[in-house]
Amino acid sequence: MGVTITPAMVGQVVISGLLAGALYSMVALGLALIYGVMRVINIAHGTILMLGAYTTFWWFHLLGVNPYLSLLASMPLMFLLGVLLQWMLVTRVVDAPELSSLLLTFGISIALVNVAQLSFTSDLRSVEFLTGAFLVGPIALSKSRLISFAFAVVITLLAFWFLQKTKLGKAIRATSQSSEVAMVCGINVQRINLYAFGIASALAAAGGSLVAVMIAIQPEMGQVYTFKSFLVIVLGGAGNYPGALLGGMLLGLVEQLSSLFLTTQVSEAVAYVLLVLVLLLRPTGLLGGRAT
Amino acid sequence: MRWAFLVALVGGLLLLALYPMVATGYGIQFMLQLFMWVALAQSWNLVSGLTGYVSFGHVAFFGTGAYAGAILVTTHGWHWGPASLAAGVAAVILALIIGYPCLRLKGPYFAIAMLGLNEVMRVLVSYFEGLTGGGSGLSLPTLHASGQIYYAMGLAAIAVTAAAYLIITSRFGLRLMTIREDEIAAEAMGIDTARYKLYAFLLSAFVPGVVGGLFARDQGYIEPISVFALLTTITMIVMALFGGKGTIWGPVLGAVTLFVFQELVWARFLYLHQILFGAIIVFVVLLMPRGILGVLQERYRLPRTL
Amino acid sequence: MRDGHILEIRDVTKRFGGVTAVNRCSLALAPGKIYGLIGPNGSGKTTLFNCITGLTPRDEGEVRYKGERIDGLKPHRVARRGIGRTFQIIRVFPELTALENLLVVTREPFEAARRRAQELLRFVTLDRLQSEYAGNLSYGQQKLLEFIRVLMTDPELILLDEPAAGVNRTLLNELLVAITRLRDQGKTILIVEHDMKVVMGLCETVFVLDYGEKIAEGPPGVIQADERVIEAYFGR
Repeated sequence: MGVTITPAMVGQVVISGLLAGALYSMVALGLALIYGVMRVINIAHGTILMLGAYTTFWWFHLLGVNPYLSLLASMPLMFLLGVLLQWMLVTRVVDAPELSSLLLTFGISIALVNVAQLSFTSDLRSVEFLTGAFLVGPIALSKSRLISFAFAVVITLLAFWFLQKTKLGKAIRATSQSSEVAMVCGINVQRINLYAFGIASALAAAGGSLVAVMIAIQPEMGQVYTFKSFLVIVLGGAGNYPGALLGGMLLGLVEQLSSLFLTTQVSEAVAYVLLVLVLLLRPTGLLGGRAT
Repeated sequence: MRWAFLVALVGGLLLLALYPMVATGYGIQFMLQLFMWVALAQSWNLVSGLTGYVSFGHVAFFGTGAYAGAILVTTHGWHWGPASLAAGVAAVILALIIGYPCLRLKGPYFAIAMLGLNEVMRVLVSYFEGLTGGGSGLSLPTLHASGQIYYAMGLAAIAVTAAAYLIITSRFGLRLMTIREDEIAAEAMGIDTARYKLYAFLLSAFVPGVVGGLFARDQGYIEPISVFALLTTITMIVMALFGGKGTIWGPVLGAVTLFVFQELVWARFLYLHQILFGAIIVFVVLLMPRGILGVLQERYRLPRTL
Repeated sequence: MRDGHILEIRDVTKRFGGVTAVNRCSLALAPGKIYGLIGPNGSGKTTLFNCITGLTPRDEGEVRYKGERIDGLKPHRVARRGIGRTFQIIRVFPELTALENLLVVTREPFEAARRRAQELLRFVTLDRLQSEYAGNLSYGQQKLLEFIRVLMTDPELILLDEPAAGVNRTLLNELLVAITRLRDQGKTILIVEHDMKVVMGLCETVFVLDYGEKIAEGPPGVIQADERVIEAYFGR
C-alpha cells in the first residue's frame, strides 16, 4: 500500500461516509417499518428503490425539470405501488411462516426487475444534473451527495416526526410492539399494514430518486440496497427505528473507510462480512433491538 | 401399485441410458442440462425444502464447483471426472465455512446472508484473478465429451434423488423437518438443530459443486456472470417450489416441467421468462405452497414420502 | 444430588430491556413430587421455564439439575439430560403424523421406539389417528400428543406449561390421572397453571410468583389463605 493517510483524507472519508449514511438510514427505515409492523422481510425493497430511480430518470428525460422535484412523483407513485402489493399479495403471508413472505417478496422482486428490463432495457441510464463539488478546505463535498444528504435528512426527520407525533404514526409504533395488543386497542391492523408498506415504499422511492442523480440506473441496481438496508437494520437492532439511523451512518462510515484501504469491489464484500459478524456476535444489534 | 412404479422407473432409466445412441447433439445437450437442473433443484430441496432454511445463494456452490473443476483441469491437468468430484468437495468446504456461522442465525437472517453470498463469490473470483482468470473467464482445453458428461450428469441427478429418498424416509429426514415445523420445539425435545442444519446444508452443497464442475467441462469456458448467476438460484428455487418442496419427486417434476417449457417456449424471451418465474413463485407461495405434488397428495391422499 | 433436590434454582434473574421478568427467583424441587407454579399473568412463570430449559439464557443466578449446573446449556442438551417440557401454545410438528411426532424425538432403535410410541398413543386413545398429520388434529388431541411426546424421551423432570388450558373436563381428568401415575413412577413434575382446582387438587407444594419474584411457597391450603397471594391476584 505505502499510501500515507492524511487527516484530510480521513476527514474526507468520514464526511463522505455520513453523507452516504443518511441515505442508507432513510431507505433502511422503510425496510424496518415493514419488518417491525408485519415481521415480513421485503426482498423487493431495493426493487422499489430502482423503480423510484427510473421515475426520476423519465421525469428528467421527458420533462427536463429539476430531477429533485421528481420526489413529488416517485414517492406518491411508489406509495401506491406499495399499498397495492401489500393489499393484493403480502397480506396473505403476514401470518404465515417467514419462509413464505421471504419467497413471496423474492418472487415479486424478480417479476418487477424483469418488467423493468423489458420496459426500460438494461441500458445504463443516468441523470446528469449536478456535477462538481464544493471545496471546504482540503475536503471536497460532492454537490449531489450534499443535496441528497439534505433531502434524506429532511425526509427521515419527517418520518420520525410522523411516527412520534401523529395518530397514525403512533398506531404504527404500537403495532410494531405487538399486533395483538394493537388489535385489542381497536387499531385496524390491516390498514396499518397497508400504510406501513406504502410509506416504506415511498422511502425506498425517495432513496432511488436521490441516488438516480449520482449513479448509473439499471434494473438490477436495487438488490444491493435491499441487502444494505438489511445490514443497517441488523446493525441498529431489528424493530428499533432510531437504531436504523445509527446503523445507516455506521454503514456509510465503514464503507468509505474500507475504500481507503481496499478496492471498491471488495468493500461490498466488507458489508457482507460485517453483516455476518454482527449477526453472530450481537444478533440484537448494536443498539439492542428485539432479537427475532 | 409399487411394482408398477418401480418397473416404470427402471424402464425409464434404461431408456435414458440408451438415448445417446439415437440422439442428436442438441438432444444430448438438452437432456444433459435437464439432468443438471434436476440435480440442482433436488439439492436445494435437501436443505430448503426439508429444514425450511431458504438458501438464496445456492448458486455459489455451483459456481465454486465450476471454478474448482475448471482450475483442476486446466492448471493441474486432472481428468474431468475426478475433478468434478473434487469440485463437489470444494463446494462442501465452502458450505462449511459459510454454514457454520450462518446457520446459527434465525431463518430470515440466514436467507439474507445467503442472498449476499452470490455477490461475495463474484468479488472473490475477480480478486483472485491470477487463479481464476477474473472477469475474462477461464477456458478449458478443448474436449468433446458431451456423451460422457450426459451420463455423469444423469448419475448426479440419480444420486441426489436417491439421497432425497433415503433422507425423507428416515428419522434423520424427520428431524430435519422438525426444524422447519418448529425449531424451538425441536430443540426442547433434544434435537441438536444446529448440527442437523449443518448436515443438510453440507449435503445440499455437494452435488451442485459436482454438477458445476461438469458444466464447466461441458461448456469449455466459464466466467463469473455465467456460473454465479442469480438466475440459476431463481431457477432451482422455482423448480423445487413448483414441483413440491420437501418431497422426493417434487423437484424432479418441477425441473422437468419447467425446463421443457423453458427450452421450448420461454428461452426466446429472456425477460418475459423471468417475469413468469417470479409470477410462478408468487402463485405457488400463495396458492400451492406444497407445489404440484402437494396438491396431488391432498387430492388423492398419497403418502407424504413421494 | 445436593440435599436430594432434583432441581435447584438460585437467584435466577432475567431482564428484557427495562423489564425484569424474573427477579432473584429461588426454588428447589425434591424428586418424586408434583409442584405447582402459579401467579398472575406476566409474573414470569413461562420465562422461568425458559430459563430452566435453556431456551432463554438467564442474566444472573444458577440452575442446578441433580446437583450439576445446567444454566448456559443449549436447550437440546438440557432436554437430553432428562428434562422435558410442554409449551403454553401447543407446539406439535404439524406436517408430521402423530406417530412421527413421537418417533422423531427419540434415538432408540426404530422398532422399540415405534412400540413405545404406539403404546403411548393407545394410552391417550390417539392410536387410530397415528397416521394423521398432527396439524389436522383437534386442539385437545394436539394437547395430548404434545404431552405424550414429552414422555417419549422418558424424562425425570417434567415441566408442564398450562396443561389444562382449553381442555374439556373428561380429557382433563385423563390428563390428571396420567400426571399422578407419572409421579408414582418416581418422576418430578412442575406445573404452571391458572386453573386453581387443578393446582389445589394435584400439587403437593405450590410456588407463587408475582412480578418475577417468589412471594410464597407451601402446600395448597396454606397458599390459598396467604395474604400476599390474595393481594397479588386481587389487590390490584
